[in-house]
Amino acid sequence: MTTTLTAPAVPTRRRVLPRGFAHGGLLLVLVAIIVFASLRTDAFLSTNNLLNVLRQVSVVAVIAAGLTLLMTAGGMDFSMGGNVAVTTAVAAQLFAHGQSIWLTVVVSIALATVIGLVNGAVVTFTGVAPFVATLATATLLDGVALLVINGLSVSIDDQLSALGIGKTFGLPNLLIVAIAVLAVTAFVMRYTTFGRDAFAIGGNEDVARLSGITVARDKLLLYGLAGALSGLAGIMLLARLGASSPGTGGLQLQLTAVAAVVIGGTSLAGGKGTVFGTVLGVLLLGVVANVLNLLQINSYYQQISVGAVLLIAAVANLLQRRRH
Amino acid sequence: MTAEDPVVRVSDISKSFGGAVALRDVSLELFSGEVHALMGMNGAGKSTLVRILSGAQNADSGVMEIGGTAAGQLTARKARKLGIATVPQRRELVMTLTVAENIMLGDLPTRTSLVRWKPVRQLARQALRDLGIDVDVDALAGDLTVAEQTMVEVAREVRRGGRVLILDEPTACLGAEAAAQIHALVGRLCEAGVAVVFISHHIAEVLALADRITVLRDGRVVWGGQAKETDEAGLVRSMVGRDVVSTKPPRSIKKEQIGLRISDVGEGRFIEDFSVEVRQGEVVAVLGPAGDAQSRLFDLLSGRRRPDRGRLEVNGRHVRFGKVGRSLSSGLRCVTGDRRRLGLIPELTVDENLMLARDRLDRRRLHRRDRLARRAAPLRDDYRVVTLTPNPPVGLLSGGNQQKVLLAKWLGTEPVACLLEDPTNGVDIAAMADIHTLVDGLAAAGVAVLLASSDADEVMRLADRVVVVRDGRTIAEYDIDRISRDELVAVALGGAIS
Ligand SMILES: Nc1ncnc2c1ncn2[C@@H]1O[C@H](COP(=O)(O)OP(=O)(O)OP(=O)(O)O)[C@@H](O)[C@H]1O
Ligand SMILES: [Mg+2]
Repeated sequence: MTTTLTAPAVPTRRRVLPRGFAHGGLLLVLVAIIVFASLRTDAFLSTNNLLNVLRQVSVVAVIAAGLTLLMTAGGMDFSMGGNVAVTTAVAAQLFAHGQSIWLTVVVSIALATVIGLVNGAVVTFTGVAPFVATLATATLLDGVALLVINGLSVSIDDQLSALGIGKTFGLPNLLIVAIAVLAVTAFVMRYTTFGRDAFAIGGNEDVARLSGITVARDKLLLYGLAGALSGLAGIMLLARLGASSPGTGGLQLQLTAVAAVVIGGTSLAGGKGTVFGTVLGVLLLGVVANVLNLLQINSYYQQISVGAVLLIAAVANLLQRRRH
Repeated sequence: MTAEDPVVRVSDISKSFGGAVALRDVSLELFSGEVHALMGMNGAGKSTLVRILSGAQNADSGVMEIGGTAAGQLTARKARKLGIATVPQRRELVMTLTVAENIMLGDLPTRTSLVRWKPVRQLARQALRDLGIDVDVDALAGDLTVAEQTMVEVAREVRRGGRVLILDEPTACLGAEAAAQIHALVGRLCEAGVAVVFISHHIAEVLALADRITVLRDGRVVWGGQAKETDEAGLVRSMVGRDVVSTKPPRSIKKEQIGLRISDVGEGRFIEDFSVEVRQGEVVAVLGPAGDAQSRLFDLLSGRRRPDRGRLEVNGRHVRFGKVGRSLSSGLRCVTGDRRRLGLIPELTVDENLMLARDRLDRRRLHRRDRLARRAAPLRDDYRVVTLTPNPPVGLLSGGNQQKVLLAKWLGTEPVACLLEDPTNGVDIAAMADIHTLVDGLAAAGVAVLLASSDADEVMRLADRVVVVRDGRTIAEYDIDRISRDELVAVALGGAIS
């Protein structure tokens, strides 16, 4: 009888292998580039360089984590880079006006969260496409950031150096923050109803709503979270650079984060996404940028190479998946 | 029957998905001018065979000959060129394009590579009219009812022509009238020499229509031959492996309390002054042609849409229209007839879909796969959900099994009252009997059940009372034991002109 085909539920074990496997193509590209880099230049594998790369990717990783969750729910926030710019600008000015570290950090992240919530409210209650709404706020925020620092570079001296260059057990503090954010995001996506709601909303918003998921509230929360993480990333970036200047954060950072998330296999249409894939995407972009710098490749060729690697990685990821 | 050569001959086709076998050594011959019915339970492999015939998937082994020559590896394009047209089980219209564009897709009339819109609409209208279909060619495909979408898709394939037309459960979500149109169409195509493959779970329909029948069970051919060599009981036994009986149990509605009351609901020209009362433990059917007033009930009762006027009460308590949360917390459960759009999330696993509503109602915060599986297991058993792998994404299940998941998702949440829209849409006879028993069980447990249906047989089997609607109005209401099936069909069709 057919009913005997209903196999007993033993899904937990079987997941382990396909998980790493699902990103096999991406892993391969990453390994290939690392091997290539270490053969071409000794500088790549030096502790200093590796720490430097990890510090740089940490900021992108925090943004990408929030974006992964949001995009899985079918949302999109193009203004996270702009939000980072505003946060660094505001925090730098607060420092410049002699405010304490705690106050500065709390105020900046709160502001970033509010910006995220405003995005969320616009998207959720007016039905404007997330891409359009947040692209508009992105432009707006980039301008606000310039206003706040008055178009000049504002230094914060060594106020955040504990975060920016400090280490714990040999790991940069920035990296530790990023790992914590990624771990929590991964946990939320896999083990909480809120995270599963994101998959459901991204998969089919109507079904999600009919199933009793509070879609509007969840979306608002997700955009708020994206804002909060932008704020955190802003503080991290400020700590690393030691100053807020025109062009800190902004669209360039945003595009890197979006690229990392999409390369990692998160669907632009929603319903699919993993933090693991995003981590691979972030690492890949970080390593490529670093290698190109080390090899002192002409900046035109740098852009071309980054584009090419993006394309290869995206295709590798997709081919891999189609076979399953 | 002349001893001519088959148009299509497949021999020893096998197909498996990740180690799980969906088809083993299936052989089949299609003759021109014949209707060849494929039958079998949900998950038997019918649609998989269709996908192989139409080039959407490739078989692992086996040979396919089309028109006497070996076809090799088919692609969708190649199959179409060889004259195989397919209407798959999943509707495949481009929902954002108009009906006219959908029908003419890939074959748009052009002049110097610019689309000529007038002939597009004319040809599309002609294609629909040839089949006696009344659908606006300028409507967006996404705005059509499932029944209309089916008709449009059939019209498209027929227009493109070919020597083989495969219809995978074309009548699963159609009412009697629309189904009759499809049957007439199949008859006409056969006379014109087309070989038609027809899939359906309705045995009477198949026996009336088919010349030849192949029965699949667990991916194997268990019976094949002329339709006249078999009968209903024989088919059931080969499909299921045992006899299936579904008889209506005597229902004693002791409770007098009204579980669900809808009064004076009106919505545009779709519903006019609709009222119905369902007592606890009673099953009341709303019967109408596919797409009529009964198909609007889901949107209204689930809270997706607010009617222009009217009132809703569940167990005597007023429930505001237009809020999903209110509808759910009143204990009302609405099971859609459109599971793809409003029922399930295809990317999520079977277990997660099963518990999607339940976990939200329970306000569960954490999600553990192993616990989820344990909680979902009884539902899988009760509803006999068949999967090849332990917990695949629900989109990979056979259509009937998806329907079972949908019912289980909602009826496993202790409803006070429920709306079931075409609940046995696409399920096999064994599952249909199971679902009927489940609905009996709901009634016995005191749930007020409102059944929205376009299938008179199902209404006769399940309902205690039936409300017949047509063009948005209630035209009659009967206790089910006061009316015969044929009378009911006559009343339902009564309003029809021409
Ligand atoms: N891409 C796939 N990956 C894994 N399993 C699959 C895939 N496609 C189909 N299956 C499985 O193969 C089996 C046969 O499915 P198929 O759709 O052919 O059934 P069917 O006879 O058409 O059933 P129904 O009457 O419910 O439509 C099912 O158990 C289904 O879950
Ligand atoms: Mg099928």
